[in-house]
Amino acid sequence: MRRLLDGLYDGAAWLAALMLVGLLVMVLLSIAGRQLHFHLPGTDAYAGYLMAGAGFLALAHTLKRGEHIRVTLLLQALTGRWRRAMELASLSIAVLLSGAFAFYAVKLSWQSRMFNDISTSNDATPLWIPQIGMAIGAVLLTVALIDEWVMAATGRQTARTDDGEALHNE
Amino acid sequence: MSDLAITSLLILTLFAFLGAGVWIGLTLSGVAWIGMQLFASRPAGDAMAVTIWGSSSSWTLTALPLFVWMGEILFRTRLSQDMFRGLAPWMNALPGRLLHTNIIGCAIFAAVSGSSAATCATIGKMTLPELAKRGYPDNIVIGTLAGAGTLGLLIPPSIIMIVYGVSAEVSIAQLFIAGVFPGMMLAALFMGYVIVWALLNPDKVPPADRKTTFLEKLSESRSLIPVVLLIVAVLGSIYAGIATATEAAAVGVVGSLVLSAVQGSLTWQTFRDALLGATRLYCMIALILAGAAFLTLSMGYIGLPRHLAEWIASLGLSQFGLLVALAIFFIILGCFLDGISMVVLTMGVLLPTVQKAGIDLIWFGIFVVLVVEMAQITPPVGFNLFVLQGMTGRQLPYIARVTIPMFLLMVVAVGLIWVFPDIVTWLPRQMRATP
Repeated sequence: MRRLLDGLYDGAAWLAALMLVGLLVMVLLSIAGRQLHFHLPGTDAYAGYLMAGAGFLALAHTLKRGEHIRVTLLLQALTGRWRRAMELASLSIAVLLSGAFAFYAVKLSWQSRMFNDISTSNDATPLWIPQIGMAIGAVLLTVALIDEWVMAATGRQTARTDDGEALHNE
Repeated sequence: MSDLAITSLLILTLFAFLGAGVWIGLTLSGVAWIGMQLFASRPAGDAMAVTIWGSSSSWTLTALPLFVWMGEILFRTRLSQDMFRGLAPWMNALPGRLLHTNIIGCAIFAAVSGSSAATCATIGKMTLPELAKRGYPDNIVIGTLAGAGTLGLLIPPSIIMIVYGVSAEVSIAQLFIAGVFPGMMLAALFMGYVIVWALLNPDKVPPADRKTTFLEKLSESRSLIPVVLLIVAVLGSIYAGIATATEAAAVGVVGSLVLSAVQGSLTWQTFRDALLGATRLYCMIALILAGAAFLTLSMGYIGLPRHLAEWIASLGLSQFGLLVALAIFFIILGCFLDGISMVVLTMGVLLPTVQKAGIDLIWFGIFVVLVVEMAQITPPVGFNLFVLQGMTGRQLPYIARVTIPMFLLMVVAVGLIWVFPDIVTWLPRQMRATP
């Protein structure tokens, strides 16, 4: 079970990484197209879809690596039973919110499929295809949060929260 | 329910969730959800999915993951060694000598990197041990590095400017160009401080390295050529109007890969680490942006931003008073939140107020970036401080204390762009003039 879950998170993250490469390729194609006077319709829209996919599919993996930002001031000030209670409370809220997001993300993709929603820009992509990335990513995030919840409840190590190396963002 | 009650309820929820340690992106969507449920007739869940999808797949944002990736690639090259080698011989002549490598190094790296923590870490990796070896006092080495690292945000490309540009719907390319002069000005202020400090404390500055001839200096500077080429490719193409921010970022990623290949530091290992590192970093930002997009929608339904703007307008505050109040507000907020969360959280609410006060949005962007930078070096949450803590092994309060002079210099910088707004707006105006 552990290996299956970790495999899922990491597999999705690799897919996300591939989409980042795809995003780069799309932008380069559109530059090349302008310089060399050929036209590929929809590269802008595809770049956007790939970006969304990259962001959502890596959610669970990033959570497990402890790289999503949270405020840990209070958590770190607590110890023992109180800390675990607080950890469980925040994880429960997170599971609820992420679960709601996952439900509606799946619903959105499903409805796009049912109503045959087509992108309004010139790529004319059926929208449910890129939206599936968001749905899968959100579901995986919820699974990973439940996974964390169970680990915290049974007193095992949860995702590490370090503030050093991970923060090249600012 | 009255505005005041709504606002208090939402702010209370926000801080309760944040304090409990709920991830920031999820917290924002949670607050938005409550707002929608209570005050809008539109079903919250469907609105959430559509809004988040729209914002996360929007083309304007695509510059962000690419610049993040570029930074991750450069972080894993030998760029910092090269820059130190190229800069050090020139700096020996200035009072304060090699301390200036911290500042100029950060300024140059900032021109290819969008983040201040990355700038701080990359330059510090080289200058911290080199300067310690030569006997420069720790407090000024760490202080200047923490301060100069924040140039990563101000000097384009800048991740936080992309985030601001997307929230405020102003041109990212123009924001980037607007950051150039303020960035150089801030670097000059830092250098001026080092010079004054060195003149006042001549006994604390270690002797110069061996004298080098002009030609030797020039030859050492060869190592700076690749990074200069990269800057020209990225910023030059934006300024000349050849490329959008996204296209410049794509060129930057390719350029960084070439640079790292030429240096011999491009292996499958570093490529994979950079790619996965960038994916996670972008994903972390994407979660916050997703929550913020939904929160902005929800705020719009409640009408909070409009009411706030009307309320603040009714106070009859001068522009100056408003900006001082906002600066203090941001610095306090920065004690709990990181820069990106701060910008996305507040812009959805504050923009109408700012517009109503007649403040130029490009200028305001630079103002926000500067203030966020200040928040970045104030404890308890200051990412540059965390980075330096990891690199030096010093305690946070010590690092914060030695950084105070830099903080004050940033206050001066904000004052200068207020008195001379042209420092910000002149260059983008030139850009607009070109066809």
